[in-house]
Amino acid sequence: MMSEQRYKLHWITAIIETLKTLKEAILPLVVLIFANGFKGGGTGLWYVDYLSFIIFGVLIISLFVSGIIKWKRFEYWFEDDELRIESGLFVKKKRYIPFDRIQSLDYTEGIFHRPFGLVKVKVETAGSSNAKQAEGELTAITKEAAKRVETEMAEAKKRQRGMPAEEGEMVTSIEEMPIEEELNFRKMFSMTSKDLLVLATTSGGVGVILSGVAIFLSQFGELLPFEWMFEEISAFIKFGVLIVAVAVFLGLLGVWILSVGMTLLSHYNFTVEMNKEDIVITRGLLEKKKVTVPLKRIQSVVVVENPVRKLFGYATVSIHSAGGGIGQSSKINLFPIVKRNRVMTYLEDVFPDLYLEEPANRVTAKGRPFYYRIDFLWMLPVIGALTYFFFPYGLFSLAIIPVIIALGIWQHRSAAYDITGNQLTFRFRGISLQTAYMKKKRIQSMEMKQSYFHRRKGVATVIANIKSGMGVFHASVHHMDVKDAERIFNWYEKGGSTIDE
Amino acid sequence: MRAQLANRISPKGLKVWRLYGWIQTIILALVAIGVGVLVYIFEWPWWIYPLEAAVLLLFGYFIIILFPKVRWMRWRYEVRESEIELQHGLFIVKRTLIPMVRVQHVDTSQGPILRKYGLAEISISTAATVHTIPALIMAEADELRGRISVLARVAEDDV
Repeated sequence: MMSEQRYKLHWITAIIETLKTLKEAILPLVVLIFANGFKGGGTGLWYVDYLSFIIFGVLIISLFVSGIIKWKRFEYWFEDDELRIESGLFVKKKRYIPFDRIQSLDYTEGIFHRPFGLVKVKVETAGSSNAKQAEGELTAITKEAAKRVETEMAEAKKRQRGMPAEEGEMVTSIEEMPIEEELNFRKMFSMTSKDLLVLATTSGGVGVILSGVAIFLSQFGELLPFEWMFEEISAFIKFGVLIVAVAVFLGLLGVWILSVGMTLLSHYNFTVEMNKEDIVITRGLLEKKKVTVPLKRIQSVVVVENPVRKLFGYATVSIHSAGGGIGQSSKINLFPIVKRNRVMTYLEDVFPDLYLEEPANRVTAKGRPFYYRIDFLWMLPVIGALTYFFFPYGLFSLAIIPVIIALGIWQHRSAAYDITGNQLTFRFRGISLQTAYMKKKRIQSMEMKQSYFHRRKGVATVIANIKSGMGVFHASVHHMDVKDAERIFNWYEKGGSTIDE
Repeated sequence: MRAQLANRISPKGLKVWRLYGWIQTIILALVAIGVGVLVYIFEWPWWIYPLEAAVLLLFGYFIIILFPKVRWMRWRYEVRESEIELQHGLFIVKRTLIPMVRVQHVDTSQGPILRKYGLAEISISTAATVHTIPALIMAEADELRGRISVLARVAEDDV
């Protein structure tokens, strides 16, 4: 066999591991210190007074030691066309990942990696049920070492191709790949700084910051002198509406700037490149991330049009991929923000085999009442209760009825589907309008739901189940004519048996 | 209209569901007795007794008699050459279509109650979803599992 040189990770791994564990434990620790640390008192015994600090210190040291051990015991090498990883002090863990099961290598460069030219490598496998075991992570290796993993993998795959197919199904997927690997990437998409600004302004980041502040206040509420603040604030309000308005404005401006900063950190230099087999997404300012999505793992493409973004003339394109570990969202924003009039041009470029016309078959008028009728079930009790308890003002809650009906009608007008060859296109709206493009062979199963009232009116809801990481993405058009629903079912049934397109 | 599916689940399944219904009703009855004792001790209004009885009766009627019946009537399935089709649901009737090429594996399982009645449930897993046929005669379930796993041949690169 070939030389089996064993490799170690870079020593920075020890620090990264320590900080990672510390980050998870930081909140309880802080609470512990605040709860005990400042009691003072003075029992005379120093080790009782500073108990929490001692615990804290011991904990940090032990974490650091365990980090060092983790790094010391971690080894990886290449053998028998496998990436082999061994780790652990008392319990030795061995993980052998065959190269031909590796779907992609994802790179992350954190702030600790960059000064040393290091990179974190995550191994994505085609795990279905045993995904838990078959995932590997190399916390910090040099870029040359990362390159070495890549070349070893490429060589192993080449060897596999040369070999006769012994274990039929394992090899088929590789044989389908073009022999001459095309490694030159084409740049498909990148974000300008204006795009970044729009993304920051319209993203949920603002909400995240506000809720973060709320959580902070609820955690440390006891420490803040609320009474004093209340007095200050009531004095402050007396200054007049203008000043309050200015303060609120400044507060919002601060939140906005924070949001822009966060977006800048995560999405700076967002670039999408692709070759024949993979899409590679690179992004990030301090922590540079590089995610590889094999084209054949992509299950569905979804164009999301958020009303606020639409106002600015922007939309989002996401893809659902079969990769990704447990608990990891595998909905990947391919184009986090993109001019609406350019969406189709970009998509055509990346997915030439997708049929991108607007879905033409709208949901018929008989489905319309179903979009808002069910909401009366919760609306009426709520309105009733509000009116009863806050008599005159509670009546204002009646205003919600037209809002809900309008939303329902809007959803009804948006809903549509289309069948083109082996592609199903669903368009549906919650608040945002979503258009999902799905190939027949990527639809895992289909459902048709009918309530009693549906049957009476001859409408049905159709749901297509798409694999998304370890979970499911349900694309559904509600309350469509039952004839349309059956048309979709028949389409799905007919070609469903053929493996090929 | 799509054709009605051919197979029903075992009539014994109805018995099992009724048994589940009984168990739930008995638990609720125990709670009701507890409340009754409290009413007695704290001298709460008397009309709580008949209210409890009415709730218990209604609950029992629905969960022992009506719901299992409707559910059983609705449950149908068909395993064809190239797809599996299921139909079930109480208020909302759900029809599911699973192409054979998408089936990844098939499991049968049975708990103590199902075993007592010689039944088993069969779970059909695709890459993303799991679908269950809840009460089949054991031999039938085993036969079906065998048949599906023969028919199912997942195309590796499709996931």
